[in-house]
Amino acid sequence: MVPGLNDFLLRIKSLLRKKRLDREMAEELDFHQTLMREKLLHQGVPRSEANAAVRKTFGNSARWHERLRELWQFRSVENLTRDVTFSLRLLKKSPGFTIIALLTITLGVGANTAVFSLINSLLLRPLPVPHSDQLVVLGMDQGGPRTQYTFPAPFFRALEKKHELFQQAFASYFRDKLLVRGSSGNENVPGLLVSGDYFTALQTPPLLGRYLTPEDDKPGGSPEGLAAVISEQYWGTRFNRSPNAVGSKLQIANAAFTIVGVMPKRFIGADPTAKPQIFVPLASEPIIDAPSNLIESGYHGWWLVVMGRLQPGVSLDQLNAALKTMSSPILHDTVPEPAWIARAEKEHFHFIAVPGSKGFTYIRFVFEKPLVALFCMCGGILLLACLNLASLLVARAAARERELATRLALGASRRRLIQQLLVESLLVALMGTMLGLAIAPAVSHSLATMLLNRTGSDIYLDTSLDLRMFAFAALIAVVATLLIGLFPALQATSGNLNEQIKEGQHKATTHKRRLLQPSILALEVGLALILVIGAGLLATSMVRLFSSGAGFNPKGVVNIALDMDKQPLEGDALLRVYQQFGETMSHQPGVTTTSFSWIVPLTHTVWDDEHTRPGGVPHDLYLNAVAPDYFKAMSIPMYEGRDFRWTDTPSSGLKMIINQSAAKLFFPDRNPIGQHLLRGDKKIDFEIVGVVGDVKIEDLRTAPPAGGYVPVTQSYIDGGASNKKPSFTMVLRTTGSASPLAGAIRSLAARLTPDIPAPVVTTMDDVVDSSISTERVMALLSVFFAACALLVTGIGLYGTLAYSTARRTSEIGIRMALGAQRATVIALVFRTNAMVALVGAGAGFVAAILGSRALASFLYETSPHDPWVMLSALTSLIVIATAASLLPAIRAARIEPITAIRCE
Amino acid sequence: MFSPNMFREENTDSGDLIQGTLEMLVLKALARGPLHGYAVAEWIHQTSQQLLKVEEGALYPALHRLELRGLLQAQWGASENNRRAKFYQLTAEGKKRLNAESQRWARLSAAVAFVMQAT
Repeated sequence: MVPGLNDFLLRIKSLLRKKRLDREMAEELDFHQTLMREKLLHQGVPRSEANAAVRKTFGNSARWHERLRELWQFRSVENLTRDVTFSLRLLKKSPGFTIIALLTITLGVGANTAVFSLINSLLLRPLPVPHSDQLVVLGMDQGGPRTQYTFPAPFFRALEKKHELFQQAFASYFRDKLLVRGSSGNENVPGLLVSGDYFTALQTPPLLGRYLTPEDDKPGGSPEGLAAVISEQYWGTRFNRSPNAVGSKLQIANAAFTIVGVMPKRFIGADPTAKPQIFVPLASEPIIDAPSNLIESGYHGWWLVVMGRLQPGVSLDQLNAALKTMSSPILHDTVPEPAWIARAEKEHFHFIAVPGSKGFTYIRFVFEKPLVALFCMCGGILLLACLNLASLLVARAAARERELATRLALGASRRRLIQQLLVESLLVALMGTMLGLAIAPAVSHSLATMLLNRTGSDIYLDTSLDLRMFAFAALIAVVATLLIGLFPALQATSGNLNEQIKEGQHKATTHKRRLLQPSILALEVGLALILVIGAGLLATSMVRLFSSGAGFNPKGVVNIALDMDKQPLEGDALLRVYQQFGETMSHQPGVTTTSFSWIVPLTHTVWDDEHTRPGGVPHDLYLNAVAPDYFKAMSIPMYEGRDFRWTDTPSSGLKMIINQSAAKLFFPDRNPIGQHLLRGDKKIDFEIVGVVGDVKIEDLRTAPPAGGYVPVTQSYIDGGASNKKPSFTMVLRTTGSASPLAGAIRSLAARLTPDIPAPVVTTMDDVVDSSISTERVMALLSVFFAACALLVTGIGLYGTLAYSTARRTSEIGIRMALGAQRATVIALVFRTNAMVALVGAGAGFVAAILGSRALASFLYETSPHDPWVMLSALTSLIVIATAASLLPAIRAARIEPITAIRCE
Repeated sequence: MFSPNMFREENTDSGDLIQGTLEMLVLKALARGPLHGYAVAEWIHQTSQQLLKVEEGALYPALHRLELRGLLQAQWGASENNRRAKFYQLTAEGKKRLNAESQRWARLSAAVAFVMQAT
């Protein structure tokens, strides 16, 4: 028989018949002892002496068994169970250590897994459709730094026909609010407008009925009328999963759509962050968007996300080459304005394609960098937690040397001791990792809510588990366990521990051991400093961003969004209704000013157009349509001229109020009041009647642009609010809270305009807050992580020093007995950590200076090397390190020499 | 912890024996037929003219190790005084190993003798 196999089989046998093996061993040894005793008695040795001799030879029977059993067993299996039980008992004995160890690991693993699950669902996960690798996202390069990913309809319709490149090219437009008539009034349902080949390209069969086809994507729908497809979820909530849903009618935006199919739950469309419930043909956009019409706005309306499924055999490079050559012909075919084409061609306008297997969402552009930065922070925390635990475990093992020596003397083999130490660290690592993984889903859910929930937006993120998540979780568990177990293992196998076990407490620690633990600690200190500096920079930037202000005072301002799209009034009649709204609301308790505006600043809605001073060069102006008293309501200073009046009608001449930047831009040499500006190619003439303060429009980071305001009474003449049913937001300044206003406006709306959906009330404070929600979450989390890092490092420094000081109790006792002063003892103990902390902090500082540049893009008016941040981070770390090191030092100085020496 | 010296020598003048030799001696003891542990120790003791005394603490681990490696086979049987005892017996593998070890030992001891007798 093969020796190895024989060995293996015998061991298996012994494992299965453990009791019998033990009995047989005992019997074999017993037999030997009997013969030995008989021989001695035979030689005339007295019985008592014979018994003593036998006992001397065989001694501790437990140890004999242990030795023989070791030969027979799979040490790994049997001893492991015993070591685990023993380690658990040890951990239970020092709950403080265990809780801290578990908490830090749980935090590290939980945070990492949570952030990774966001990264996974937002950046890594492919769309759940067949052959997602064939999908591409189309965009336009206009010579600018950023690719444009929204298309005007004519460009898409031209690309849709290029079947030599695409099996299908498809466009979609997400509307978070489709007005659907329910059993009790209108409801808003998130919906998607899709081009004819959308479903064909995504290759997911419907659960019921059919999906939409190019036949449906025609004005007025197919010969059978307008068609819609609903999601499985909506099928459940609205139709209770009734099969009769297919074929029934749905009133969307006051038009009847026939439901032709239900899409299964796994179908999420091509945008992983949107969750449309209703799919309607793209061609029905004029109905959905009435009274506006993006299709009609042609090349002026940039709204469509365009993707395609490549023909087999066409590579991305070939596609890009083909798109480049066809760009110019498409422009000439679709754009009727030669000046526009000329400008586009000057900017080397061309279509491009990027891989689209993961679909397309704007959210990615916003969150990719913050998520990666968060991920790095979490990685740092995990590393820190692991290092901390490793150093504590090493220190603990060293402090336990007397116990270990005793166990060795009682017959434990050296290998078993080392194994038990390793089992202990692995146990902590595994339990911490499991806990971390267990809390990860909840953490990632709340992270997603904090990061993504901005006011008024409806972003959905699927953070459910998938194979990649499992792989990552497993990887992180293994890495954490290895990191934690590695140092104790190094220590154990380097022979030092064995030496210590043999030598007990009296042998001076070897040089190698003196280096390993301080380097772990120094690494920890350095890492903590990096995290603290990063957090300091982000927090400082956040505070500066917040205090920079938006140019208006958001405190006490309430916005009430009124959606007038689908009600019958228009023009002057509608304006009179608005005036009535304002008049009634101004009598509400606490309301001091009421006004209206078309655009709410910081909500990512902009309206801009080119303006020219007669005889001058054109400049872009950011526009808004506002009612009288807007500047008063928003607390925007009025520097010159007058406010709008309700009597500024189109017949009284077009008026405009500009901001200071615009005044400087257009009229650096004269008073702008009474001057004129000409808008766009049509040269519409506006008279400047006032100058107001600058206001940030896009977000708090972006400096206020040159801007202009037109009166709501004239706004529908031209531009963004040009339709006859403008939906304005009521802007109120109130000394009270917003909630009573919500009730008032609802009853008012029900009386004045019963056809509109319930007005949406938000406070301007919320708008400002949510416009910097990403920055805020980043800053909050980084400060949280930095605080954890400081705490963990403090615990690490304290714990290791406390253990090593405990080992030196008798040495310190002797020193004091020989006349050492308490101050000398404090200095002696303190010095151990001071060096470690200094080296670590120095290294961390250098690393932070080199690495903080990576944060530069997140920082607002804050240098990545901001000296105050650097200095305060360093100070806080030094304070923590000093406190953590001083405690054990003071405790050591309290040692009573007599007690210390006696306890030997 | 195994004791560093696997044998205790009655006569300390004869110097240290080379490790691993115990296993060879055990195999040799079993060459003439099955024996229990005590008999193996006794046989080595007697045959070495009382020069070698096998420590029990080394003997049993050696026997079990050899059994695990498949060089020995163990069987429970009755001893000379009719008590249940565990008898060890050479396997084919064990016989082969004994031959190899004897040859190696002969060469080694001759070589050592040459060196030690050199003037």
